[in-house]
Amino acid sequence: MTVLAVSNLSKRYRRGGKPFAAVDDVSFEIGPAETLAVAGPSGSGKSTIARLVLRLLEPDAGRIQFEGADLLILSGAALRARRARLQMVFQDPLAAFNPRSTVARALDDPLRIHGIASRSERPRRIAALLERVGLDAGLAARAIHEISGGQRQRVAIARAIATRPSLIVLDEAVSALDVSVRGQILDLLLDLQRQERIAYLFISHDLGVIRALAHRIVLLEAGRVAESGDARTVIASPQSAVGKALVAATPRLNRIKTP
Amino acid sequence: MTALLSIRDLTVRYRREGVEVTALKGISLDVEAGERLAIIGESGSGKSTLALAVAGLLAEAAEVGGSIEWQKPRSSHSVTASHFQPLGGRDIGFVFQDPSFSLDPVMPVGKQIAEVARTHLNLTWREAYAKAKTLLGRVRLPDSEAALRAYPHQLSGGQKQRVAIAAAIAAAPKLLIADEATSALDTIVQAEIVSLIRGLVNEDGLTLAFISHDIALAATLAERIAVLRHGELVELGDTDQILNAPRHAYTRMLLDAHLGLDAKPLLDRQGASA
Amino acid sequence: MKRLHRFFQTPEAIAGALILALLVAIALAAPLLFPGDPQAIAGPALLPPLQNWSLPLGTDRLGRDVLAELFHGARTSLAVGLAAAAAALLVGAVVGTLAGFAGGLIDEVLMRITDAFQTVPSFLLALAFVSIVGPSLGVVIAAIALGAWTGPARVARAEVLSIRERDYVAGARVIGMHPLEIAFREVLPNALPPVLALSSVIVAAAILTEAALSFLGLGDPNRVTWGGMIAEGRTVLRTAPLLSIVPGIALVLTVLGVYLAGEGVVESTAVRRSLS
Ligand SMILES: Nc1ncnc2c1ncn2[C@@H]1O[C@H](COP(=O)(O)OP(=O)(O)OP(=O)(O)O)[C@@H](O)[C@H]1O
Ligand SMILES: Nc1ncnc2c1ncn2[C@@H]1O[C@H](COP(=O)(O)OP(=O)(O)OP(=O)(O)O)[C@@H](O)[C@H]1O
Ligand SMILES: [Mg+2]
Ligand SMILES: [Mg+2]
Repeated sequence: MTVLAVSNLSKRYRRGGKPFAAVDDVSFEIGPAETLAVAGPSGSGKSTIARLVLRLLEPDAGRIQFEGADLLILSGAALRARRARLQMVFQDPLAAFNPRSTVARALDDPLRIHGIASRSERPRRIAALLERVGLDAGLAARAIHEISGGQRQRVAIARAIATRPSLIVLDEAVSALDVSVRGQILDLLLDLQRQERIAYLFISHDLGVIRALAHRIVLLEAGRVAESGDARTVIASPQSAVGKALVAATPRLNRIKTP
Repeated sequence: MTALLSIRDLTVRYRREGVEVTALKGISLDVEAGERLAIIGESGSGKSTLALAVAGLLAEAAEVGGSIEWQKPRSSHSVTASHFQPLGGRDIGFVFQDPSFSLDPVMPVGKQIAEVARTHLNLTWREAYAKAKTLLGRVRLPDSEAALRAYPHQLSGGQKQRVAIAAAIAAAPKLLIADEATSALDTIVQAEIVSLIRGLVNEDGLTLAFISHDIALAATLAERIAVLRHGELVELGDTDQILNAPRHAYTRMLLDAHLGLDAKPLLDRQGASA
Repeated sequence: MKRLHRFFQTPEAIAGALILALLVAIALAAPLLFPGDPQAIAGPALLPPLQNWSLPLGTDRLGRDVLAELFHGARTSLAVGLAAAAAALLVGAVVGTLAGFAGGLIDEVLMRITDAFQTVPSFLLALAFVSIVGPSLGVVIAAIALGAWTGPARVARAEVLSIRERDYVAGARVIGMHPLEIAFREVLPNALPPVLALSSVIVAAAILTEAALSFLGLGDPNRVTWGGMIAEGRTVLRTAPLLSIVPGIALVLTVLGVYLAGEGVVESTAVRRSLS
């Protein structure tokens, strides 16, 4: 049983009057509680894939099966209802929230929209969500700009899991964070995956992070899949040119190994 | 050892809407002539503030204490003279994280580079353009003749950063400061820019201050590493020592948090599997 | 508090605020100081000012108390100016938000309508509207708003077009929010600041338009208006010029006050924006 099955997905844009393919005949699958990483150089189409999968963009060709049903035939209220199971976390946690929002409102919205909890019950749910992502429930009253970047990304994760999704798309979700905070967020993601069996479509250009967290990887180049397979195997011995270039370009700490 | 500049007890405070932020607290540091120094630390640790203070580019609202003394220009002995004021552009080249910050969107990039060369090296326009073309070749922009006439929006992020580097070294500065110059670029382009900077610094005998939040990246380029935390210099040492025998717990934490291609995957650590 | 503090730092803003405060005080005090109908005969006709202390500004051609008319006229001017501007901003913001957020055909249609309104001079529009529907306070307000909403609509649309592409709007779609809720709850409030910056100019223009309509006899006949007073005084301009000049000065001061205070607000918020 797969959570997400994408087949022959294509998206063309026009550049200087000429059409070019930002995503070109891309196929992949993600199983329950699995992390599939999508990596590639800048402009290779990673974010476009994320937006297509979330139906924020319409593909020119291809199929997207989500939880066994065609996602592309849905529209209007049916699509909005389906979105409860398919969530996203953005790179810049500040840009991902309405600047006027408070933490409580950001978490209240999904609960209200999908009728998950009654109005009187929601404050309790919000507190539980905050605690689930390792935040103090007292943070609820704060404005979004009054918390740190790491806390904000935790709130973004809390918002994504509020509707009990089976898949979360993370587009460079840890790239803007300090390394110390990044480690904590990755731990949280792994913990959620084990507890709630959430699958991740994890977009990143950092092979180190991918190797630490992902089960499988898809390497993109200019909108096409260059290589895919077990994350550690691919990173250990990449076969494609772009894979080799990415591995070679990843900075290494040349520490003398101490036992 | 000749110090290109000596920073003593540098303290910088920002005041904004009545709130005071101390961005640097008593930093003392010598930058040796010709060395490659990396300044690392997490967001808000004061890296950019230090770079801006050295370049004399701090906002007017900033309150500065302590001293930054430069080696007297072109003198064989290492007497420092506090009256020597370096000039941004001529003595210091600055490369920012976001190249659009330093490039004029409505001017061909060739003209922007030529202008730097012309004002600081007293060249004619013709000579300055010739220089700009050479520089664009040196930063390895393909077809430097065509690149001269390109506008910034016609270039990719990595290409823009190459142009920004060309402009920064156009006046043959002694010190090149790169503040997160590769953070907005993907890994492959980042590696290209880092190797470009390494080559240029070697060829011209430049002093490099490379600012980054990525300890592994900094280590690939620098001979010495300064670690900042909350505005304080917590550790300064040779790259080798910092990586293999860090003295400060914070440096150790930065090293441990790095996820390299040889790190133990978190998946295993937690015993999770699909 | 800080914003208020910054507002009071420019002398223009202080002057504007003082004028406006005085005006509001006058408008509020009018029914208390001059109870009863300001259009009632209060004394002999064309009594010059400073002759009779119960009628400090004298009387007009029909023997009505000029000071009482002036006070009650402030009520009309302010009420019409504020209500028309509020209506124009509301309609403009809603139209602009819908056009910018929906895009496509809806945008096309709404913007062509906006174009059509913009090509007709707003005063002619107001004139035609009042002539057809007939003068009353509500009609005058609607007529003025009719010619003033296009500016806010364009500004709102431009702002919405840029906000629409932000991550948080995509985030709202991802959690399944209804497009109308996204447009009016998530996008519109963040698009408002530049739209509200237009309000001082719109209020000032609305007050002037109201005066012009009244001057032409198209104001609400049951209310005293400054425009009407100027028109009344015109017939005796040679013998009693003050009858036109005094409401004229009131008008100019009001427009100036609104404008200066508005600039002060824009200025103080602009500083705030550039800081953050
Ligand atoms: N709205 C658009 N119109 C035209 N071209 C677009 C649009 N959005 C993206 N593109 C182009 O599509 C290609 C893929 O972009 P995408 O954002 O998916 O790349 P990415 O892999 O996410 O890159 P990055 O690592 O820089 O985020 C790029 O060449 C980009 O310029
Ligand atoms: N112009 C300014 N006004 C007020 N405070 C400032 C200003 N610039 C920086 N700061 C504050 O000074 C501290 C140090 O900032 P700085 O930009 O030097 O950090 P940094 O190490 O470069 O961080 P980053 O990695 O995020 O670029 C931070 O707390 C920051 O908020
Ligand atoms: Mg992207
Ligand atoms: Mg910085």
